[in-house]
Formats: sequence, C-alpha cells, structure tokens
Amino acid sequence: MSHPSDDELVDLAVGEADDPERAAHVAGCDTCSAAVEQLRRTAQLVSGTRTYAAWQAPADDVWARVTAELDAELDAETDAESDTRTDTRTDTRTDTRTDTRTDTRTDTRTEIGAAADAKTRADAEADADAGGGTDAHTPRVADAPSVVSPVTAPAPATVTRLDRRTRRRAAGWAAGLVAASLVVGLLVGRAIWSPDTDGQVAQVALSTLDTRQRGGEATLVRAADGLDLNVATARPLDAGDGYLEVWLINADGKRMVSIGVLQPGESGTFPVTQALIEQGYVIVDISKEQFDDKPAHSGDSLLRGRLPA
Amino acid sequence: MHVHDDPDVESAELAARLSGGDREALAEMYRRWSPLVHTIALRSLGTREDAEDVVQQVFVAAWRGRETLRPDRGSPAAWLVGIAKHRIADVRTQRYRTHRNLQALATEAVTEAPAPDDSDWAERLLLVHELERMGDPRATVLRMAFIEDRTQDEIARALDMPLGTVKSHVRRGLIELRDRLKEVERVSSE
Repeated sequence: MSHPSDDELVDLAVGEADDPERAAHVAGCDTCSAAVEQLRRTAQLVSGTRTYAAWQAPADDVWARVTAELDAELDAETDAESDTRTDTRTDTRTDTRTDTRTDTRTDTRTEIGAAADAKTRADAEADADAGGGTDAHTPRVADAPSVVSPVTAPAPATVTRLDRRTRRRAAGWAAGLVAASLVVGLLVGRAIWSPDTDGQVAQVALSTLDTRQRGGEATLVRAADGLDLNVATARPLDAGDGYLEVWLINADGKRMVSIGVLQPGESGTFPVTQALIEQGYVIVDISKEQFDDKPAHSGDSLLRGRLPA
Repeated sequence: MHVHDDPDVESAELAARLSGGDREALAEMYRRWSPLVHTIALRSLGTREDAEDVVQQVFVAAWRGRETLRPDRGSPAAWLVGIAKHRIADVRTQRYRTHRNLQALATEAVTEAPAPDDSDWAERLLLVHELERMGDPRATVLRMAFIEDRTQDEIARALDMPLGTVKSHVRRGLIELRDRLKEVERVSSE
C-alpha cells in the first residue's frame, strides 16, 4: 500500500488510529516510522511545556549593540577595509546609526579602551545629571593674569544641550576666574575673517594662555547639516595620562559646552549648530582632562581662541 | 510578558522584506522575537550576560544570513530559534573548553564531554510561543490533548465540538508544530 498521509501519521503518533493495516505499513517503512517518531517527539515536547513561559526581554541596550555591530561592518565595507571586528562588543553608548563620525572614532579604539571610556562617560553624565552644574570646581588656569573683568555675582553654570553625542558637561567655575581667563581668551584670539571661502565661516588662531604662543587654529565651516568646527594643533598637545577635550565657552563667561574629545596630534571635526554660535558660544578652548569622573572643565586650558563675530 | 505576533501572512511578508535587505524588517523581528530568543538563551545558559550576547549574535547573524531565510517555511521565529540554538551550543562548547583547560592545568585530568542540551529549551519555548500565537480553539485543543493528556473524545465533549473538528485541529496543529521544529533543526545544524 502507499504511504499514509500526514493526517493519518498524526493519528498513529497520538494513538488515535484505528487501521491495523496502516500501522503495519508504518512499522515496516523507515520513512513513515521516522515521520511518526518526529510527530511523537513534537507531542512530547508540547506535553513538557508549561502553558506560559515567563518571557524575559533582553536589556534595552542589546538592540543598540546589534545596530552598532552591523553599522561597523557597513563602514568597514564602505572603507574597503578588512573586517576584523565582527565580534567586538561595540560601545553601546554610541548610537552609531545616525552618526558616522562617532562611529569611526569608536571603531578605532580597543575594546578595553572603549569600555573604560564608556564607563567614564556614563559616570560623567550621571554626575552632570545629579550635580546639575552647581558643583563648584576651581579651575587651575595657569598663570591667570590679574586682569579681572567685572562679574558681580557668581552665577550657577548653565549647561546647554547640544545633542546626544556631545557629552555636555556642567561647569561651575568660580566666576571671577572665568572672567579672568576669558579676558586672556579675548586677548590671544587673533581673528582672521575670511567669509565664504570654501564654506569657511570663521577662523581663529588658538594660543596658549600664559605665553600667548600660537599652537593651532580652529575653523568654522558650513557643513551639509549645520556647521563643523575643525580644530588642528601645530604640534601634538600633551594629554598626559588624561585626554584632550574641546569646549565652546560663551562670551558671557558663565556658560560652556563640551563639543568633543581631540586625539593628541590629530585634527578633529566637531559638529556644532548655528544657534550655538548665535547664542555666544564663540570661544574655542582645548583643555586637558583627567579620567576622574568629574564632568566639569578641569580648568587646565592648553589653547584658546575667540571666533570673530 | 507574552510574545505575540501577527498572522502568518504578515510574518512571511516580514521574512521577504528581510531577505530583500530591509533593516527595518530586522528591527521589527527584534521587537517581536527578541524575548523568545533571550528567554531560550537565558534558560539554556543561566546568565544574563551570556544570554544577551547570544541575542546580539543571533540578530547580527540573522542580518548577515538573511538570504538563508525561507519565507515559505512559515514564521521567521523558528529560523531565529535555529540560529540561537547554534550559538548556544557554541557558548557551551567554549565553556567546556575553558573548563577543560583549567582542569587540565590543575589535575591533568580529562573531564567528561559537555553535557548535551537535554533540556530542549529552544524547542520547548518555541512551541510555547507557537501555541500562544496559534490562537483558539486549536491551541486549546492541543493543550488539552498533549499537556492534559485527554483523549479526542473527552476534548470534543468538554469543548462541545464535533469529534471530527477536534481531530482536524490536532492533525493540523501537530503538523504545523512539527514543521517548526524541522526548521529549527535545519538551521541549527547548518
């Protein structure tokens, strides 16, 4: 006889069959007995399930890890690089889908470095959130001149939200010292105005605070989706065992935003907005920061310059 | 939390979109099935860290291997579970090697081979998921038949349903579930 149908095999598997001839065929047919065995195992597995499984969703960051890994791969293909990071656990704090610039930076780090960095930044953000910028942090501005502009009362630092990837940091400077270093900034910032050449909006030389030695320059250029601030130094700055951070300080001397981290010896491009510049965040400052969980400006400014209005 | 998905038509559509390279389809699959994959990994491996690594690997692998998804094999859930089973086995092997190396250093003794995954978490939880999405009365008929071990006559009486209808639900339901397990087997053995 021909092989029984799937339906008939189910009946046999669950013991609801009443045709001895079919049973005899299945017993002597490898294909059919394997099929029945498979159905029995299915029924057995169903019998072992509880009606409800306590489903547990993975942590929220797992999807970000998936997209980060896929984007890293996509970038690698685009750059025609060999793909060596397929199994790297990518920095989950970076939403790489919308920010290719950050991608590149993340990818070039070692895994341990990225993890440590993520932790530092996480802590920094937590501090910023918790502290709200009221944490008084005395800046160590080297050789701050005695020129003090009249700032009447210490105002709490205000943090401006740039966007997700710029790790804004609350800065609570002693107002007098801010004003003092600000004056230095104004003095050393030798502005070069060259409007509309290659999308260039403004350029300024960056100089040391003490000796006013020129050490680099910052250029504001028009980018597809806003403005980019390009920062380049003449010689690699010494970050010691810390890192270099680029800030935009407001001309009022009371507010500042962090716009990113500069790798020593490299130039950096930091997206900024027109609104930020219009609000007076025009003083470019490169500081030396420690991995110390303190989100505020360390006060240790290496180079500074004011963009011309 | 329960995992639910939409009818098979929509699942097949999702599978077709993924095969075609639509990243949003992957996101949708993650929304629907990451709890299923995660729960399987968690029960099989015991730690959240490993389980989440497996979830990450599964969806990355799903994207890379999207051409191997066969929309005609029904819901992509079974396909994902097949990938997960493979990854879980890898983690177990890795653990065994680490364990063996440590043992070898300490005692030069050879430990036993890794325990096979006799708990069948992947299959069991996929079936729970499939029963949840199957809907009634078929799911209820299957539960009564296989979990409560009732005869088709008893089920027909209890549900006030013709015996032929009960029989038909058992047949189609069990075949459907069997096909899901076949898909898991196909993918996990690749």
